[in-house]
Amino acid sequence: MKKRTHEVHDSTNQKLDSNKLSVLFTVVNRSKADFYMDLIQSFRVNMQMGLLARGTASKATLAYLGLANTEKTVIVSIVREDEIASILDALEQKFNSIKDGKGIAYTVPMSALIGVAAYGFLSDNRIR
Amino acid sequence: MEYNHQLIICIVDEGYSDNVMDVAKECGATGGTVVHAKGTANKEAERYFNIAIQPNKEMVMILVPTDIRDSILHALYTKVGLNTTGHGIAFALPVDNTVGLSKTISMPSTQQDEDKENAIAASDLSSIDDTTTSE
Repeated sequence: MKKRTHEVHDSTNQKLDSNKLSVLFTVVNRSKADFYMDLIQSFRVNMQMGLLARGTASKATLAYLGLANTEKTVIVSIVREDEIASILDALEQKFNSIKDGKGIAYTVPMSALIGVAAYGFLSDNRIR
Repeated sequence: MEYNHQLIICIVDEGYSDNVMDVAKECGATGGTVVHAKGTANKEAERYFNIAIQPNKEMVMILVPTDIRDSILHALYTKVGLNTTGHGIAFALPVDNTVGLSKTISMPSTQQDEDKENAIAASDLSSIDDTTTSE
């Protein structure tokens, strides 16, 4: 894959850090959605959306696992590529330690984005 | 770059998400997440092609290993695709990182399953008996 080499400048012609972005999907129980959104936001994430969703496990599986509800939230976050490892480590640690906090998370690479302001916002490029 | 997992997104008319999951599970998917959505079809195109698009949709997100992606997409296309009552479209996105995935849970067999297996075994035996007696 050809590496992107051009520089990104903001409206005052200051050079912005060039960092690829990814879309992080985190599927958790609805009662824990706010907790996980706060956690993800602490990793330089400026935009997140919470979608109300439901899991598709069958009644038999739910009964076997002792679970009652299938209500979920899908958290969609735009994240910097260099923060992905730390975000996923933090999420995995919480998935395994919090009661009722089990979930899954995965990232999808973003292939294109237009707008310097939008890029600056989504990648948390603050002028130093 | 090769990806180990793919995110299959299937958008169908409201009420068809169970069909989508049934089809995906037949091909090896373990679970999915359903999100309610609203479709925004081109009204002029709807009139031109003489089809009505139901605005209420369900978006089913299924995370699968890459090796079963194509079989699931093909099954979704034939069973809940645009030519069916589900009016579904399906596509896959590459996934480069995952956490929280666990191994498939194998359910203990129920009494009904055992009865069914016993019935099949009994019918096999009786067919063998039939052949032996007829000779």
